[in-house]
Amino acid sequence: MANELEMTEEEKIQYIVVKIGSEHYGINISLVDNIVRMQKITRVPKVPNYYPGIINLRGEIVPVMSARVKMGLGEDVITNQSRIIILKLEVQGLVGIVVDAVREVITLGESEIDRTAQNSRKQDTTYINGIGKNGDELISIFDINSIVDEVSVS
Amino acid sequence: MDVSQYLDIFIDETSEHIQSLSDGIMVLENEPENKDTINEIFRAAHSLKGMAGTMGFKRMQHLTHDMEDVFSEVRNDNIKVDSEMIDLLFNCLDAIEAYLESVKATSDEGTEDNEVLINKLNAYLDGSHASGGDATPAPAEDNSEESTEEAPGEAAPSASSDPNDPNGVDHYKSIKISENDVSKIREASESGLNIYGLTVHIEKECLLKAARAFLVFKALEDFGETLCSDPSSSDIEDEKFDLAFSVIIATESTDTDAIKAAVGAVSEIESVDLGKVTAEMYEKAEQAAPLAEPVEETKAASPAPAKAAPAAAPAAKKEAAPAKKAANKPVTARTVRVDIEKLDALMNQVSELIIAKNSIVSISSQSETTSNLDSGSLHEQIEYLERITTNLHESVMKVRMVPIESTVNKFPRMIRDLSRKLNKPMELTMSGEETELDRTVVDQIGDPLQHLLRNSADHGIESPEVRKAAGKPEEGTIFLNAFQEGNNVIIQVGDDGGGIDTERVLNKAIERGLVSEEEAPNLTQKEIIDFLFMPSFSMAKEITDISGRGVGLDVVKSNIEALGGDVEVKSTLGQGSTFTVRLPLTLAIIQALMVEVRDEKYAIALGSIMTIEDISINDIKYVEAKEVIHLRGLVIPIIRLDQLLDCEPSDANPENLTVVVVKKGDNYAGLVVDNLMGQQEIVIKSLGKVIENNKIISGATILGDGEVALIIDVNALI
Repeated sequence: MANELEMTEEEKIQYIVVKIGSEHYGINISLVDNIVRMQKITRVPKVPNYYPGIINLRGEIVPVMSARVKMGLGEDVITNQSRIIILKLEVQGLVGIVVDAVREVITLGESEIDRTAQNSRKQDTTYINGIGKNGDELISIFDINSIVDEVSVS
Repeated sequence: MDVSQYLDIFIDETSEHIQSLSDGIMVLENEPENKDTINEIFRAAHSLKGMAGTMGFKRMQHLTHDMEDVFSEVRNDNIKVDSEMIDLLFNCLDAIEAYLESVKATSDEGTEDNEVLINKLNAYLDGSHASGGDATPAPAEDNSEESTEEAPGEAAPSASSDPNDPNGVDHYKSIKISENDVSKIREASESGLNIYGLTVHIEKECLLKAARAFLVFKALEDFGETLCSDPSSSDIEDEKFDLAFSVIIATESTDTDAIKAAVGAVSEIESVDLGKVTAEMYEKAEQAAPLAEPVEETKAASPAPAKAAPAAAPAAKKEAAPAKKAANKPVTARTVRVDIEKLDALMNQVSELIIAKNSIVSISSQSETTSNLDSGSLHEQIEYLERITTNLHESVMKVRMVPIESTVNKFPRMIRDLSRKLNKPMELTMSGEETELDRTVVDQIGDPLQHLLRNSADHGIESPEVRKAAGKPEEGTIFLNAFQEGNNVIIQVGDDGGGIDTERVLNKAIERGLVSEEEAPNLTQKEIIDFLFMPSFSMAKEITDISGRGVGLDVVKSNIEALGGDVEVKSTLGQGSTFTVRLPLTLAIIQALMVEVRDEKYAIALGSIMTIEDISINDIKYVEAKEVIHLRGLVIPIIRLDQLLDCEPSDANPENLTVVVVKKGDNYAGLVVDNLMGQQEIVIKSLGKVIENNKIISGATILGDGEVALIIDVNALI
């Protein structure tokens, strides 16, 4: 839980706000390597359904996942606004996440994030670890460690 | 000048010497009288001692010195080789290796004195004197040997060579020196000093030439001032010289033998030529050939006159051996040690070049149809580019290839030790040590192979009594065979032991709940053997420190799979088992056949493709409700790639199917594809960590148009 530690130590953290369905989610900007437009995703057989496949990111192969499918919110709807957020994670390497749109970058302090709020949907697993308040808006903060599959370090 | 910069070379060189010592001692154990081997061992021990000394590793030097003494006594027939001594020598090797490990880790040899070993070695030496009744103290004898041993064999050929050849004898007389230096010589000689010229010959195998030269200069400082040298001292320091260099010194001493001895005492110095020189010699040097006569008397015909006389007899005897070796062993492999990271970088650049080339190829094939561009010459150039990149790729690959020898040559020793420990006579036979593999693979394949060999030694080979009862020779045989097959390298490790008792494995599997008793009878032999590769599945009845801790085969399997290979077992109860390890020859770039399944593109490694067939739908037969084709006497199962890869079902019902027949060892499979696209050189990329555990897809590649194609792992399909 390295990013949690960061959050308690640092005063303010910047988040990229993205739209998936009707909700807004925040992704810690320090984990984001890149944001790219939607492009052809090559399907890979025999992987969990929330991986639409892989893309060619300037000569590198990057696996892309669908946060929406993973959270059980249905299939992605690809529009002109769709983007792939490329995360650079220490263990998993580069991973892309498909989002409906990228909204803005906001700065939140720990006091503006409600860590106790429960996800309204009764799900077994939750993929957020807090709800940030940006003015009137509520922004769910992604828990990257639970949204991106763990990989065994062997 | 600091010796620490030579640490890497020292480490490499020491490992090599340890290996040749180990090989030599192994041979010696079987043929205690083999003089060639004894000489070889002696030389290795001697070099080891010299290097340790140069680097200032006193403890290591001490130990190797005593080992060398023992070898020297063996060589002189004062000690007989027995198995106890072989054990002791192996222990010493282990100790040296421990020093080396310590040097690797901390740049220091550590504090272990290994007195026990040294005492034992000395006990051997003392024993030899007692029994031999030889009054000559060992060290003295050694000294004389050291110098004579190196000199005669190799110096002889150079004696007749051209004086202008820098490696020739007396080169110091003909070196070109500057006006300035000539006047220095004159001044020195006018002030009453003796001026001597030296040509120092360094052994061919020597890697730390500059370090040796440095030590020579240091030794000369004790006598007087170095006036000049050829090549210049800075060139010598940068190792910009061949096997010899010349120095002119001014000294008060007239004891030329002492100077020669001091220089000769530096290790790996082959010989020293020394003679009086005068400034005039160099002044005339430009017009006339060098005057050799005035100094002839100090320079003896034999390069080691001082020591040759007392030890003449043994020297003459030995002369044959080193000379013969020099002929057998061509110049120490003409290699350059390159940091693997540099090669990786080169490899990446080549990969990018290939991707760029592929895009040009793709553009050109498009422009052919759409524009009237002068595509003829463009085409030609592209083919040229293609040829270059392919060649470049091959060369880079070859640079990365090393024989597996460096990894497997420690195994005979290991099996020997195990044989003693387990009280089971056994022998390791190896073939194909010269088979080459990518350096990274070679470095990492050692552990898995070691596991397999230990497994064979511990579980495979039965006790001599059991073997005798089964009508087998008492000595067990373990083998390791390596060879290349297509794009793979196969390493087989096996034994003629008891084989795998599948019954017992199955019981164990049931016991551990890996399979229910009802299912058990339906399992094939192969499925049962696969249990052995499950984590912490140990068959050992008792846990030994050799194997049986349940961290064996599953680790072997995962290590090999991490290298892109796989492992198979064949076993016959009572006759032994064979583990077949299959490794990819190349890691990054392969030739592949591109195929289409629906609208998706896939790559199949060309190396595993046997043929491509057009099969009529009527030729498909069924065996156990599975589709097969009968092709030239082979029954080949059909794999419908569209189904396997979960493609959308298609309505089309073609009369003919395109079948790519692939093979793995003796097994075949026919892959049904929709379309063949042609052959292409592809760069293999990982799918990314989160999805790379894919059993069917081994990776992805980027095509010329930027599209991504998946690479089908044929080995996983069969």
